[in-house]
Amino acid sequence: MTMTSPLHDRHIALGAKMADFGGWDMPIEYPGGGVVREHNAVRTSVGLFDVSHLGKASVKGPGAADFTNRCLTNDLGRIEPGKAQYTLCCDEDGGVVDDLIVYLRSDDDVFLVPNAANTAAVVERLTAAAPEGIVIENLHTSYGVIAVQGTKSDEVLSSLGLPVGHDYMSFVETEWEGLPVIVCRTGYTGERGYELVPAWDLSGQLWDALVAAAEPFGGMPCGLGARDTLRTEMGYPLHGNDLGPDITPVMAGSAWAIGWDKPEFWGKQALSAQRAAKESRLSRGLLVTGRGIPRPHCGVLVDGQPVGEVTSGTFSPTLKQGIALALLDRSVKVGDEVVIDVRGREVAATVTKPPFVEVDVRES
Amino acid sequence: MSDLQYPDDLRYTEDHEWVRAGNDGTVRIGITAFAQDALGDVVYVSLPGVGDTLAAGDSCGEVESTKSVSDIYSPLAGEVTAVNDALESSPELVNTDPYGDGWMYELQIEDAAALDALMDSAAYTQSLS
Repeated sequence: MTMTSPLHDRHIALGAKMADFGGWDMPIEYPGGGVVREHNAVRTSVGLFDVSHLGKASVKGPGAADFTNRCLTNDLGRIEPGKAQYTLCCDEDGGVVDDLIVYLRSDDDVFLVPNAANTAAVVERLTAAAPEGIVIENLHTSYGVIAVQGTKSDEVLSSLGLPVGHDYMSFVETEWEGLPVIVCRTGYTGERGYELVPAWDLSGQLWDALVAAAEPFGGMPCGLGARDTLRTEMGYPLHGNDLGPDITPVMAGSAWAIGWDKPEFWGKQALSAQRAAKESRLSRGLLVTGRGIPRPHCGVLVDGQPVGEVTSGTFSPTLKQGIALALLDRSVKVGDEVVIDVRGREVAATVTKPPFVEVDVRES
Repeated sequence: MSDLQYPDDLRYTEDHEWVRAGNDGTVRIGITAFAQDALGDVVYVSLPGVGDTLAAGDSCGEVESTKSVSDIYSPLAGEVTAVNDALESSPELVNTDPYGDGWMYELQIEDAAALDALMDSAAYTQSLS
């Protein structure tokens, strides 16, 4: 069964091109926009994304935060209530079930935003592990999620009377038109911005107000096509491409989101062993220097020998070049020249450390 | 909601290419408004080489958007006599002017009659519905 966002009718009315995202029928791009224009709107002013397909779940009960901390990789001890954290849900063998954002409301109340397709799996695993008194609830269709991304985000939110200017990765719970909405300083584009989590039924009204407020700044609704080019320019991993059952956080360069010193988290033993062995392939950026666009599963070669594989690849609207994330042998270093096999055509590229573009998402 | 145009003076293929007859046995080829709209923003085009000999149905190039790749097929048999070099630096011309500056390549065709076997505007429009 295909799920639809609370904004679905609006996307159809706008004539958006729709596609399946993790079982949800979501907009790829809008007429009058297109991936490149929408991408540039975010980089230069502001863009609005319906990301209501993202999962929502709560972990509640005495010690909910401690319980979550024993399961997921990152260390909730690093943050205070009112802050959010990027973390991973791993298998015992270190494979990634999902990457997600954890909102720490209090010691006894944690809110999770997993990926659409993985929400049920995350909820199931937490539920199976939860001790007496801890309740996990799947709230996938209780809330919408609207991302407001770009330098003009503050102006757009302010004009609606919503709170702005809080620290990167912090959130404020407020009300709009008498209904609750969470305003979190997070995003998946690298630009200054916010992700709003309104009650499901409030989402349409909030979206309409945001679209109207963004227009004077040259802002516009943006589809998930632009979201993908924006995140790839930042080198942010996408679960299913750059993270997954066979691509651990150690390989993906996401080890910064692991609390190695914690006594336990799912996959700790396997990940610690892989980290110590220093043998696995590592995720790197590839900046195409020739002509061509790398795509997932394209082979990467040095002197004709295979050294890795592209996990995400696209055209960078900002650089006007092909860019990719690739898992490469450790013998390949940043700065090395490689060849990408793009459907039989050899495309030259340089190994880089993402991001591919300069932005300051943390700026206060 | 479609305001896409399919000019009457062109011929069309099932692969969403258009063919414009020249007056010296050559034809000019590109992709239709429908094709460019379905692809989205075109960001890369690879074309056959001048002098290449193509059979009808040969895959002879690629057109890529940010998200996807499509093959370009030769609608007719012939020899490539020109390619649109402007698409190397301005692939977006395929979106903005698919029947004009967004043309892709020209063929000296072997069999002028084969052109008449392709769909006319009415037939192509019908095939899309």
